[in-house]
Parts: sequence; structure tokens; C-alpha cells
Amino acid sequence: MDRRKFIRQLGFLTGAGTVSMTLGNIPVKAFARPFINAKAPDGTVLVLVQLSGGNDGLNTVIPFADANYHNVRPGIRIRENEVLKLSNSVGLHPSLSPFKDLYDEGQLAVVQNVGYPNPDRSHFRSTDIWLSASDSDNYVEDGWVGRFLANAFPDPETYNSNHPMAIQIGASQSMLLQCTCQGQMGISFEDPNQFYQLINGATADNDPPPNTIAGEQLRFIKQIAAQSIQYAQIIKDAADSVQNRVQYPNSSLGRQLAIVAELIGGGLETPVYLTSVGGFDTHSGQLGSHANLLQNLANSVSAFMQDLKLLGAADRVVVMTFSEFGRRVEQNGSGGTDHGTAAPLFVIGQNVAGGILGKNPDLEDLDTNGDLKYEFDFRQVYASLLQDQLGMSADKMGDVLFRNFETLPLISVKHASAGGPISFSLRQNYPNPFNPATTINYQLRIPQFIRLVVFDPTGAEVVTIDKGWKDDGS
Amino acid sequence: MRTGYSLNKINDWDEKAAIHILSRTLFGYTRQDIDFALSMSLDEFVDNHLLANKPEPIPPFWVYDPSSDNSTERTRELTYWWYDQMIRQGYSFREKMVLFWHNHFVSEVDKVALPQRMYWQNKLFRDNVFGNIRELTKKISIDPAMLIYLDGNKNRKGAPNENYGRELMELFTMGIGNYTETDIREAARALTGWRVDGVTSYFDEERFDDGLKTILGETGNFGYEDVVDIIFRQEVTAKYFCRELYKEFIYITPDENFVNELAGALRQNNYELKPVLSLLLKSSYFHSEEIRGSKIKNPVEFVVQVMRQFNITTPDYNYMRQVVEGLEQKLFDPPNVSGWDGDKRWINTTTLPARNIFTDSVIRGEKPGGSELTFKVKLVDYARTYPSSESAESFISDVAKIFIQFPLSDTRKTYLLNTLLDGAAVYDWSTFNQLAENRLELFFKALSRLPEYQLS
Repeated sequence: MDRRKFIRQLGFLTGAGTVSMTLGNIPVKAFARPFINAKAPDGTVLVLVQLSGGNDGLNTVIPFADANYHNVRPGIRIRENEVLKLSNSVGLHPSLSPFKDLYDEGQLAVVQNVGYPNPDRSHFRSTDIWLSASDSDNYVEDGWVGRFLANAFPDPETYNSNHPMAIQIGASQSMLLQCTCQGQMGISFEDPNQFYQLINGATADNDPPPNTIAGEQLRFIKQIAAQSIQYAQIIKDAADSVQNRVQYPNSSLGRQLAIVAELIGGGLETPVYLTSVGGFDTHSGQLGSHANLLQNLANSVSAFMQDLKLLGAADRVVVMTFSEFGRRVEQNGSGGTDHGTAAPLFVIGQNVAGGILGKNPDLEDLDTNGDLKYEFDFRQVYASLLQDQLGMSADKMGDVLFRNFETLPLISVKHASAGGPISFSLRQNYPNPFNPATTINYQLRIPQFIRLVVFDPTGAEVVTIDKGWKDDGS
Repeated sequence: MRTGYSLNKINDWDEKAAIHILSRTLFGYTRQDIDFALSMSLDEFVDNHLLANKPEPIPPFWVYDPSSDNSTERTRELTYWWYDQMIRQGYSFREKMVLFWHNHFVSEVDKVALPQRMYWQNKLFRDNVFGNIRELTKKISIDPAMLIYLDGNKNRKGAPNENYGRELMELFTMGIGNYTETDIREAARALTGWRVDGVTSYFDEERFDDGLKTILGETGNFGYEDVVDIIFRQEVTAKYFCRELYKEFIYITPDENFVNELAGALRQNNYELKPVLSLLLKSSYFHSEEIRGSKIKNPVEFVVQVMRQFNITTPDYNYMRQVVEGLEQKLFDPPNVSGWDGDKRWINTTTLPARNIFTDSVIRGEKPGGSELTFKVKLVDYARTYPSSESAESFISDVAKIFIQFPLSDTRKTYLLNTLLDGAAVYDWSTFNQLAENRLELFFKALSRLPEYQLS
């Protein structure tokens, strides 16, 4: 058995992790770095929802008890009696009632005042900053997800390269999924079947090109097309193997998330998805349009979470929303808001530590432009999700985010490598090296069948230590 | 030779012939262009439009001033300026031929240093675009950009530099195997004396080697014009140019018999290109069924034609440049002195999806990454420029005439029809339907993602 197979099999057998240990002088070399992530069916997944245009944070998570809020937004404020209260001072926009439900179930975290130093108010520049995770004065041409996948993906040898590392639902390819080191780390398409048909098209390719010089050229291009979409088949298979269990809103975001749910539920091992929805650039008459935007967001994401639950994948998936900036504190002259700075974002999922992280936005202590100051750097959110959800080891943070950021307690059931399991974790044995005895601790979040086995470096089984149905606990 | 096909003129000037000639000579064409071409005779269209002399475009203001710096930005401006000539080419074959010359007499802006010089070289190509090839070769031999690019400005009496002399014979006129190393050395001596000052070149008699030279069997006190005249007295030279023309405008693998026929016509016309192109574009060989759809579009052609097919007259040139460069063609900066290889080399697993993503983005009106394009095609309005817009099947067939030169199979047509209808019945199709814009978006994306769309 080669190393790759060995690791795969281990991954399959344990579904969690391995520890290295040394028995006397003999290294029972296993693998120091756990690798459960992205090994379907229990690989963890991050789904990003990009709100393009700059979402108005103050009217999304509303500091209703702050008189300043009502004073500076006389025409577009949400009144206290309409706010879906999360606490005695802050609450959600009334269109976000599905998010209120998720919040009440402890599955939604609000991260307040997310931004970055020296904020840029250009859509394009600030979007690039969010996608690249760069400082605002540093121009970077690739994305944080692309760099993560290229540099820090947990044990690439365990990753099944038949599956794309990242998927963007849409016609474009975002810089988010690019790495200058390796190029495009993900693929993009609008619909699995259409994607499949566009190039592979069962109907299309049934007729061979004519036997002419032009036909020969066409054959060549078709071949390249087939190679370039090597993933089309597996994506189609995944999408075809399950059906959405709930009704999604008939919106672009609803359709995008419906596709993502089918791909995850259908066994695609891709760890990162990017979806997006536009229209948040609410410069005028925003009261109605913003309500619709938020309603679409909340209904789509909540349908997605419900669908994942029914598809048995809810405990693997975390959703994060983001937008290039929030909007100005004061309303403008046309019943809207102009480009601003820091804003709240949502992190949603069964394993998310629900609640509100951070203070209410301070409408008095503003920056020199009269905009909100940030409390959390957006890269702290990235760092937390990379480590705790996707299993990035902390020493890779510099490669991916250019420097270290303090993580936030966003994920309650953490990825094994971050000190917590998905369904169980295996702790380092102690003492190590050992002779003659050592203790191996493991922890189960839910009752399950386990088998604890020691392998030698060639992959041969040395001993089965424990086996059987266990209750949850340590 | 493909039996029965030659430089003889075709009998039938019909829609098929018009489509083929438009697709090979222009950067994209529209329904109106086909009608225009067919409103007159083939002779009229080719001689009075495609090959007609056109007024010279106004250059960027900075081309006269060699001290104007920021060459990266200037090169981009020049690129946008050239795109603009392509977009506004009308019915002229000129800009495609300028690109042909750029890829034939290659210079790279990096070495040439001043984009100003690249402009003057580009103008030289434009001024002589259908003119006498021998005279153009003389002029390019003392063109400032070329003198710098191939070190002609360093070539002087007693210290010859053979760089230009070699490429002149190997890549620009005769092809390898038709001269000796001695011919190169002697030609280099004859090419001495030329220097560059800013954006002009001048002859410095002090640096000229005025001794006797023997080049390709002829002896005399030759200068650069004599070198070119001697080269053009070689039979291989006309063939070499005709082979290059064949590869660019007919098919990548030359048919030597037809090349010989074409070369005969070129010599007969004393290297005047216009009458030869006129013959070529009207010939039964050029119009033979097999040639249609056999050429892989180069990136500039691909990107510019998308704009012209959708009647986009104010495109985002910066975006176009980024895409074209991503597709591995940077104007004014070919990869090396032999230029772009072309054809199959344009298509790989990176560039083919990138081409698809580009067409998707134009149709959607949004760049990859989500930012909006400065232009957006309203597809319903665009569709209604086709008289057949309300009849799904005729509409598809009419649109295909603009977008696809390769003969579409029945299954392809069915696929396109199903994409357009998106589940509706064929008699339900109307551009006035609420979902028409969405369906047209799907349809045009599918159409331009067909591998056939890469072929001209």
C-alpha cells in the first residue's frame, strides 16, 4: 500500500485523525497532522456569500436603542417596534426573521464592526482588498482562498484531485479562488447540467467532426474543452445523485445555494464554495430595496441550512456573508446611503458558536471621514474559519493572510486540527515516547461506532486497541 | 492542388461567399455587413471596399515626442488606439493586414524602448498595407523601431552586426536554407550606416561600409536598398510571402501548389500586393468549401469580433487588453522575433475556458469578479436587430451566420434551440416574453461557448 492510499484508508477508517507515537525506540510513525478535512463524506465546507455593492450594516443589525441612529437616519431608520431584537440594544432588520430563528437556535453569529485599517471606499478596490485579504495599501492579485488551497490545504495527498478544490457558482471566475503560485484553484459554472452540457454535451459530441481540415481543427478544440472541464462529470454526478429537499426562493442566490446544497449532499468533496448576490449599492430610496435584498438573503440561506439538515450535511457546513464595505452613518439626500466602512457580517451553521461578537457600533466615535471605526479586522474572521472550520494549521496563517491574526470564537465544534472534532477527536497520547504504557484520549460528540487502531509506517495494522459502540463523551 | 480550385474567380457571389470573406478579412461582422456586401458585385466589394485606400487615423498626441515617458502606460494607450482602429474598421481589410505585418516584421516594445517608435512602425505598415512588398521591406530595414530591435543601429563599418541581416533573410523574406552565412555577413555590411535619433532614423555615411559585397551571387558596392532588391530577385521570396499569407488567411498548413500559383501572380505584379489580394479574395480556392471555418481565431481577432458582433462601439479597452494578454497575445510585444505561432498554439486548457469566460462576461455585462462592464448589451434589443427575431428557428440560424463559420450540425442546432426555449414550446418564443432576456443570455453564452465559435 502506498502512502497516499494508506492515508486515504486511514481517513476512511477513522474519519477523524491520527497521532504519532513512539513505542520504545520504535517509531510507530503515523501522521502528526490530522487530515480529516475535505475527505468526504465528512469533510468540512465553507460557503461564502458575497453581497456586492456594500451592504448597509446599520440597517442590517440595528442599534435600535441608540438615539443617534434614529437621528441621523430619519427617513430610512427601522423603528424599534419593527426590529427583531437580539438584545435590549440591538436587533435584526425585520426582513431577516429566518436569521432570527437561526440565532435563537444558536446557529448564527453576528460579528460586529468588521473592517480594516485605512478603509477604501471604492467598490472595486475594497472588493479586491476583501478578496485578497491584503492591507488597503498593498496590491495583491490573488485571493485568500486560492492561497489557502494552494499553500495550506491539509495534507494535499489525501485530497481527491478528481474533485475541484473550490467552486464559484456564476459565469465569472473570482480572484478569490486564484493563487499566483498555481493559477486558478477553483472552477466556476452557473449550473452543473449546463456546465456539463456546454462542453461535454452528450447531444453535442455524439456527432464526430466532419473529416475535413476544419473538422480536424474542431476535433482539437473539443479535446481541449474536454480536458479543461475534467470536473464536469463528477459535478453533474454529484448534483444528479440528490435532490433539494426544500423550496428555495426563486432568486439568483436561491438557485446558487440550491446547487451548492446538491453538490455537498451529493458527495462532492470540494471544501470552498463562493456564491454572490448584487444590488447592495443602495444610494437612493433604500428602504424598500434593502428590505428585499435582506429578505432574499435570509430566505435563501435559511432554505440552504434547512436543506443541508435534510441532506445530512448540516454539521459540516458553515456559511459566511461578506460585503466590500458598510455604508455611511447618515442617510444621504435621496433616501439612501453612500459608501462607508465597517459593518457586521454573519457566520451561520450548526457548529457555529451563535451569538453577538463585539460591541454595538459606536455612532459617536467616528473616523475623520465621519465613518464607523472597525472593531474586528475581516482577516480575523478568515483566520478563525480557516483554522477552526477548514483545519488550517496556525503556522500557515502567514502564508495565507500575510501575517498572524487573532482568531475569534466563531466555531463551537472545531476542526480536529484546531483542537476540536467534527464528530470525534483524537488527542495526542501521553506520555510519548512511551514504554511500556501510554494513554490515548478521544472524545465523541455524538454516540457512534468507533475503532481505534495503531498502524506502522508502512500502513500495516499493529493492534486494534478499542472497537465498538460508544456513548458521547471522553 | 485541391482539384478544381485555383486563383480563378468564383462564379457565385452569394451569402456563403460573403460570410467567408467577411470573417477572414474583418474583425467580426454583422447581419448588415452581409447585406451590404451582397448589395454589390464581388469585384466592387473587394476592390472598392476591402482593399480601398482609407484616410489615415489621427495618432495619439504623444507619438512625435520621444521624451514623453511612462512607456508602459503609453504602450497601453497605443494598444487601445489600435483596438479602436479595429473596432471602427468599416469594410476595410486594412487593420487585419496591419496585424499581419506586425506579426511578420516583428519588433518588441520592450527592446525598442519607446512606444512612440512602435507607433511609427505601425503607421509604416498601415501606409504600405496593400502596397509593394519590396518597397515595404526597404522601409522596414531603416525603420527606427526595427533598427533598435534587431541592432541595425549598432551595425557599422568595421564592426558589423548581423542580427538584422540574418532575420531579414531567415524570417522576413526567404526562409532558412536559401542563403549562406556569407550572404548574411555581406548583407550586414551593406546594411551599415543607419542610426536612430529619437523617433527617426538617419544615414551616417561615416559608419557605412562602402566596399564591394557579394550577396546571393551578385557583387557591387551595395546599400540596404540593393540588398532588398537582390533578395526580391530570388524566386523563393515571393513564395515565402505567399506562404505566410496562406497561413494567416487561408489555413495553417500551406498547399505548395497554390502557394506557387499565388507567388507567380505576385511576381507578375512586381510585388504589388493589392492586385494579388484582390485575386486571392475572389478565388475559387479561397472560397472552396473546405477552407471555411478552418482557421483558429487569434486572441485580438476573437476579442474584437465579439464587440463588433454585438455592435458594441464603446468597449472597455483596458478590459479587452487584459483579456487578450491573458489569451497570450500582447500587441507590440510578440514573444520573439518570429512572432506568434498562431493556430493551435492559441488554444489550451487555460485559454479556452478564458475565452468562454470572456464571452460570458460580455453577454452578462459583468467582468469576472462581479464588477460591471462599462457597456451592457441589451440582448432583447440586439435580437430585434434580426428580422427573424420572433421566430426561434430562423433566428438561431441567422445569428449563427454571424457567430459561427463552421457548418453547424443538426444536433448543435437542436441544442441551441433547446437552450433558447429553455423548456418552452417553439411557437411560444417571442422577444416580448418576460423571460426573453434571460433566455437570450443563456442562448448567446451557449453559442459562444461552442468550440465552433473558435473557428473562422
